[in-house]
Amino acid sequence: MGMVSRMSTIVKSKINRVLDNAEDPRETLEYSYEKQREMLQNVKRGVVEMVTAKRRLELQARKAESNIAKLDSQARQALEAGREDLARLALERKQATISELQGLGDQISALELEQEKLTHAEQRLQAKVQAFRTQKEVIKAQYSAAQAQVRIGSALSGISEEMGDVTMAVERAQTKTDNLQAKAGAIDELVATGVLDDPTGGDPLDNQLKQLSASSTVESELAQLKGQVGSGEDYKSLPGGKS
Amino acid sequence: MIVRILTEGQYNLPGAYIDQLNEIDNKIVVVVEQKDKVNFHKLLEEMFSLVRKYGTEVPIDELVESDLVLPEPDITLQEAGEMFTGEGLVPD
Repeated sequence: MGMVSRMSTIVKSKINRVLDNAEDPRETLEYSYEKQREMLQNVKRGVVEMVTAKRRLELQARKAESNIAKLDSQARQALEAGREDLARLALERKQATISELQGLGDQISALELEQEKLTHAEQRLQAKVQAFRTQKEVIKAQYSAAQAQVRIGSALSGISEEMGDVTMAVERAQTKTDNLQAKAGAIDELVATGVLDDPTGGDPLDNQLKQLSASSTVESELAQLKGQVGSGEDYKSLPGGKS
Repeated sequence: MIVRILTEGQYNLPGAYIDQLNEIDNKIVVVVEQKDKVNFHKLLEEMFSLVRKYGTEVPIDELVESDLVLPEPDITLQEAGEMFTGEGLVPD
């Protein structure tokens, strides 16, 4: 088989061959059980990390939301002061923040999916470890070292494969989380320095289209604001008297 | 035959379906080589649904080694390609 046989080889290579080098196979059981519990702790930690990463993104999203409101009122203030250029700038930033917010939303749901998978893996491993523990006690109580060797073989290979699978699942989830966090970190920096004008970094055509629609949104919002600010407002003298 | 779908769990698939599984697997090798994303995902889905439909889930507290291991359902074409070029599945 092509892909399937390769996959099988990869997973089996992840299996610890602890059985080969133990004097008393019953010690192997204890050793393996210890490893399993470590692994279970690892998975639990992985889930916690994922939750933390998600919280961070959620925090960022809330910040973006409040920024949007802030930029909105800044645009209004700027226009009231007769500074259309500043108002336009604020609205442009608002559009950029809106698309950042959308990106964050996508990342949050991606993390949720990973978290769900990892939680599932944790439950599976927990059940397997429990089963292993039971078998371990039975083998230790009822069999001599020589007999135990045979019994242990099947229990061990079953649990080892499970651990191989879970290891891969954890690695995968962590890579995804790291990537998302790196992306979020980069956005953070851009927002902080105020140069966020290309939050996607993706396809140039796509970016241009987005810019086009963003700028038309900015123009129409500007017109709307002007209408609101202009009506029922007397001319105010401009502070500083410039422009 | 015990078949594992990575990150999902194990199934007991009657031997009668192994040929079918094999056939899909061979097709996958071809589409990975051709970088044919659409058919890659189509064939993967076919493979997973075959196992899920005709296999019975191995109880969660049973310890048994698999005869075959299928990749995780969200594997990408690129990851599958790396598997064949010997890069392994360790993501960079």
